[in-house]
Amino acid sequence: MEELSQHLLDVAVNSLEAGATEITININENMRANTLQIEVTDNGPGITKADIARVKDPFYTTKNNKRVGLGIPLFMEAVERCGGSFDIQAQSQQGTVVTATFPHNHLDRVPLGDVAGTLITLLAANDFDFQYCHRYNDKSFYFNTRDFRVLLRDIPVKTPEIMVWLKNYLHNNIMELRRGKKVEEFRRTG
Amino acid sequence: MKSLEELDKLRDRLQQEMKIRDKDYDVAITVSMGTCGIAAGAREIVKALLEELKQQGLNNVALTQTSCVGLCQHEPLLEVTRGSEKTTYVNVDQEMAKEIVRKHLVEGTIVKDWTAPKK
Repeated sequence: MEELSQHLLDVAVNSLEAGATEITININENMRANTLQIEVTDNGPGITKADIARVKDPFYTTKNNKRVGLGIPLFMEAVERCGGSFDIQAQSQQGTVVTATFPHNHLDRVPLGDVAGTLITLLAANDFDFQYCHRYNDKSFYFNTRDFRVLLRDIPVKTPEIMVWLKNYLHNNIMELRRGKKVEEFRRTG
Repeated sequence: MKSLEELDKLRDRLQQEMKIRDKDYDVAITVSMGTCGIAAGAREIVKALLEELKQQGLNNVALTQTSCVGLCQHEPLLEVTRGSEKTTYVNVDQEMAKEIVRKHLVEGTIVKDWTAPKK
């Protein structure tokens, strides 16, 4: 994968295929602590202790027609390449939390990439709601699909023109949020 | 800057337009979005499809995703379903995706050169 946002898409697709109807995506960038953290929480059926260990194995999959499951192993590879940390937890009631933390300025950290494209792709092809919270040092950007649906009234979210508008809206806001970078931070942009 | 006031205007315009032409196209596009599809660029395909659907004013095409279909070497891959007719397009790029919308969905002709090789 060329971008962390593609891993994000992959993890969220896993959630939706497992039956999640709500996903919370948190991205935290903290320059002082030098961290970039991606956290995906869903309300799906959760994951067993045994499976938490096994999904890290590229030759393990829960799907019957397949022999490999590369999503999580590839994500972990991107984390380990730059000395970050990776965690999957089952929530007490239901749902799963996947957390990946990266050293923000590491040369081998994959760029974050097109998060807006990822969110739009998820929304265009699925019926679900998400919350997105992106923090950059002291600033933050928040978006959730429930409020957006209210704003649209009777126009469906999936109307192509709405989706294209939303892609630009998210893209601009995320760009704006991350623009406060110093030159040396910008060089490792993404 | 895309603002929420702009969204209000867009919504009002779409409400008007949808009253005028509310055709049911009965077409579905399925994009393969397993890890293989995503790595090959499925997201860029979805974005291109949305752009072209907007351009052509096709508001009733169902866009869905499926997991790996076992043709990982042919990703990005998409399937157009019209009634009982199913067409699989392989190694799709953004330009091809737009062309498929114009040719297959608007004009109704299958782009044979880009379909899946027969087994």
